[in-house]
Amino acid sequence: MRNLAEKWTAMPDWQTAVIDTPSFAIRSVSGLNQFLVSGDLATWSKAWGIALQPVGAFGQAMGDTYTVQVARDRLLVVSALPSTVAQGWHEQGFAVSTVSAGMLIFEIEGAAAAELVARATTLDPGKGSASAAISFAGINAVVYRHGERIRIHVDRSLAAYFWSWVATVGGNIASAEA
Amino acid sequence: MQLFHCPFCGARDETEFHFGGEAGNLRPDGADAPADRWANYLYMRDNPKGAVREVWVHMNCGEFFVMERDSVSHQVLSSTSLDGAGHAQ
Ligand SMILES: [Zn+2]
Repeated sequence: MRNLAEKWTAMPDWQTAVIDTPSFAIRSVSGLNQFLVSGDLATWSKAWGIALQPVGAFGQAMGDTYTVQVARDRLLVVSALPSTVAQGWHEQGFAVSTVSAGMLIFEIEGAAAAELVARATTLDPGKGSASAAISFAGINAVVYRHGERIRIHVDRSLAAYFWSWVATVGGNIASAEA
Repeated sequence: MQLFHCPFCGARDETEFHFGGEAGNLRPDGADAPADRWANYLYMRDNPKGAVREVWVHMNCGEFFVMERDSVSHQVLSSTSLDGAGHAQ
């Protein structure tokens, strides 16, 4: 039988994968829990016990527990600890779903990070947007700043595509600078 | 590229949006709706020249809204959420 796997580039080992160029570097971030909260976000915030200050597109997140707005009634919660609020529907009017395995988190740093962003989206990173769910490199992603870096959550099934996009576009940036 | 306005996210590239049909084309209710009512709902479009009211969805955040725009000049006049609260841009 033909081995179709040979036609595809091997999936990177996300624990160690890095694209490191003189002008930017990208690697994946592990060890963070991700869950979606939908519905009455203010009530969820009381149940979770943290203030509701979600970041939008290119907003500034900090620390290892924060919330990102992905729709009018939906948050992506990123936390070093698992949710203390049980998964599923809550009678108070919100639902919690763990998606830690569903999305990979990448982090870009370096002088050319803005060049990469300019090629990935038409959104002005200086202006931002209420939700961080944007089209990025041709796919739906969640994009915001974390410290000095840019964090990008992509569907895990599209991570290998996203990685090859960054490698190609990073090469274009490098040859334009040379 | 044209910018559309999601009532929640604000201005975004048109490619982030999906057309949902003419606003006000309501699905017939009940099993006794006559065939011509179904045919109207499924196949008949007004396709007006000039001011139009259309349903659109912002695919990235999932917001459904009514956009008023001009089908000749492509000028966007308003975006109003269909979430029942009437959020507008
Ligand atoms: Zn939106």
